[in-house]
Amino acid sequence: MNRLRGASELAGPVFLLALVAVLGSFASRSIQVEFRSALVSATIVIALYVFVGNSGVVSFGHVSFVAVGAFAAGLVSVPEALKLSASPELYPFIAGAEVGNAASLVIAAAVGGVYAFLVGVPLMRLSGLAAGIATFAVLEITHNVLRNWPKIGPGAKTLPLVPETSSLLQLGVGAIAVATIAFAYQRSRPGRLLRAAREDSAAAQGSGVNIHRQRLLAFTLSGALAGFGGGLLVHLLGSITTEQVYLDLTFITLAMLIIGGVSSLWGAVVGALLISGLNSLLAEAEKGIGAVDLPTGARLVTLGTLMALVLLFRPSGITGGRELTFGRVRAHVPRRFRPERAT
Amino acid sequence: MSNPTVPLLEVEDLEVRYGRVPAVRGLSFTVGRGEVVALVGPNGAGKSTTLHAIMGVVSPAQGEVRLDGRLLTGLAPEAIARAGVALVPEGRHVFPHFTVEENLRLGLVARRSKDGADADLERVYRLFPVCKDFRRRPAGALSGGQQQQLAIARGLVADPDVLLLDEPSLGLAPSVVDAVFETLTDIREQGVTVVVVEQRAQVAIAFADRTYVIANGELRLTLGPEDADRTELLIRAYFGS
Amino acid sequence: MSALQTIVDAVALGSLFALVAMGIGLIFGVMRLVNFAQGELLTAGAYALLLTNDLPLAVSIVVMFATVIAFALATEVAVRPLRTASPAAMLVTTFAFSFLLQAVFLLVWGSQGDNVGILPELNQAVEIGGLRVRWVTLASIGVGALLLTGLALLLNRTTIGLEMRAAAHDFRTARLLGVRANRVIRFAFLLAGVLAAAATLMLVVQRPLVTPTFGFQLVIPALVGVVVGGLDRLTSATLGGFAIGFATAILGDVLPSGSRVFLPSVVFALVIVVLLVRPSGLFTRARTVVERV
Repeated sequence: MNRLRGASELAGPVFLLALVAVLGSFASRSIQVEFRSALVSATIVIALYVFVGNSGVVSFGHVSFVAVGAFAAGLVSVPEALKLSASPELYPFIAGAEVGNAASLVIAAAVGGVYAFLVGVPLMRLSGLAAGIATFAVLEITHNVLRNWPKIGPGAKTLPLVPETSSLLQLGVGAIAVATIAFAYQRSRPGRLLRAAREDSAAAQGSGVNIHRQRLLAFTLSGALAGFGGGLLVHLLGSITTEQVYLDLTFITLAMLIIGGVSSLWGAVVGALLISGLNSLLAEAEKGIGAVDLPTGARLVTLGTLMALVLLFRPSGITGGRELTFGRVRAHVPRRFRPERAT
Repeated sequence: MSNPTVPLLEVEDLEVRYGRVPAVRGLSFTVGRGEVVALVGPNGAGKSTTLHAIMGVVSPAQGEVRLDGRLLTGLAPEAIARAGVALVPEGRHVFPHFTVEENLRLGLVARRSKDGADADLERVYRLFPVCKDFRRRPAGALSGGQQQQLAIARGLVADPDVLLLDEPSLGLAPSVVDAVFETLTDIREQGVTVVVVEQRAQVAIAFADRTYVIANGELRLTLGPEDADRTELLIRAYFGS
Repeated sequence: MSALQTIVDAVALGSLFALVAMGIGLIFGVMRLVNFAQGELLTAGAYALLLTNDLPLAVSIVVMFATVIAFALATEVAVRPLRTASPAAMLVTTFAFSFLLQAVFLLVWGSQGDNVGILPELNQAVEIGGLRVRWVTLASIGVGALLLTGLALLLNRTTIGLEMRAAAHDFRTARLLGVRANRVIRFAFLLAGVLAAAATLMLVVQRPLVTPTFGFQLVIPALVGVVVGGLDRLTSATLGGFAIGFATAILGDVLPSGSRVFLPSVVFALVIVVLLVRPSGLFTRARTVVERV
């Protein structure tokens, strides 16, 4: 019975993602883009959740892994001649690489994972505020390097003409796969050890949990999944620039996770899809739909206000950090944003 | 002008709830000027809650607390402190990164009149020599017993009408506890009115002018110092229905 | 460019960041709040100056001070629910505030930006012993040093400063001792507003273009500087802000010209190193580092 109830926690997120994919297939071409965008967002937010939700450590730097994944997947999907004409100084192994869709996604995940590992080895010793600042520094470094190093990418220019292979099917399958991996991780021994450490690090260490190692594992996995999300992103947009994987994306994915509920997979998915939908709706409203015509910029104001309100008054998010179960609701006691201050 | 016929501190029909659970119900007692009153009882009886209610830290669902006839219920803790009630909280809560002297200066904040502040400071330095010796050291460097003395000193320099002590012996070695109660005797001689919540019932009963036994949120028994050895009476009051 | 001139310029940039860092450090020191949205106080002040550009200078400055202080007091109200949250949670929430306010400024004024022509005389340079220093730099250093000294004295030598520090450390116990904790915190935010207003003035003279990200551009290095310097004390936080500015300017000069674009990466890499080696801060007294967050 426990197995069954456990599996039901995955069913909710998978169902929702599948629903979005299916509904999207009935939408018109222009609206379908919003559905596909929602699925990519969900993938990235789930990746973020794998680390932040399980470890309780805030990371402002995850979009770095999305970025390297996107650029990696993009660069290996574009013919050599095109790459060299735009960026003549590219390293030959990057210029010469040209692979198919699936391979590009695998490469994106690999690059994301390796980068996350390298970053994580030193950084996972940090917690709280220091971790927040350090991961933010990683974001800044990644952005700065990608933008200014002509040997590894197009720099400040757009990388164009990436095959738009992110169909609803690809995105649906990709998102569900990522959700399944996230679920498998959180139910696995390392996942549960990390959650234990989140609740009470002293007790966990006393029981022999190597917090650094567990965090590094989660961070690396999360980086790989984020890289994969970046791959999906670049194949959706058909191009990529450094600005698209920088502060705005950081803010919005954090907002999605927090509003949905930081501590659960269900929260990550709900938050991503809900905010993505709201974002699309507001973007359309800014252009004018029917009687509604919002001034430009109202979208960001609304999202910012929503995020602020949730953070102030319901920091555990819409879902309260709980997984969706059929039967008794199992709370993942999300105290991470409200630890008792030590006297 | 204080009215000599009105008791200094009156607690009337106090009821305090945490959520729907009543921690204190129908509690009434008085404390006269210069008296030392003890509240004893088993764990979770509501003794500390009573002090918190007097201090305004929790809001009672019902009942009133009056200081010299003036209504305290409903005021914020800092207002009650400035009205002349000082609480020495459970666990002491000194500011460990501040020096002993800074901790004492903080105690001065609640004084109703800044006159006599220096004299009172000198007085506590005499009463608690450790405070004088460790004057410029961080309070965190003091031992538990010394911090307790600091916390009491901090309460005293506010020149309060009533000094509330919440579990002063908690976490302290027995010899240290004796020392703490000795200082309380000195304080009593200075005419300070004291309400002390204490785990160690026998020590408290022997020491206080009057002891109220509280169990399950209610007043069960009132005892005098002569009842210190009457353990069967205590046990019945603690655990009886 | 002589080494001394480089140092002078580095000091100039450092003092700019130090002013912003001081505001962040003050609010943290008093309220345990990490205010990512500190920069938006500056932006609000800058827009206030822009709106009153046609009015006499004194009026304009008064209006600016009033606006910034009003925003600061509004921030105090907005962060009350965060009183018991962890510093990381505060960071994320104030990050949201920052984003929200930037979006509002963007909505109202657009991204183009306008110039505030104020006190252009301060931008003139003076020659001291062969070194060029702008008046505004001297003013920034002077004002900064004055404010820092004044604040440090206030916090450490006065009763109200004691009350502020007590409220920051243990709000509950402070109230038991009669500290009007809410009032004291409001006062702290007022002071932070004054600091931010002074910083706005210094900043606007040097960078007259006002855009929605006017303050935000300074907040990142300043905030980073505060954490690197040592969040716990006002002086270490301010020094941290100064250090980031100083290091950025020095490195900007020292790096070979081809690598100069990577200046942010170098600075941020250094930040990571410092955080790893001394997580409690560069300028704090080395205490046993208890993981407080």
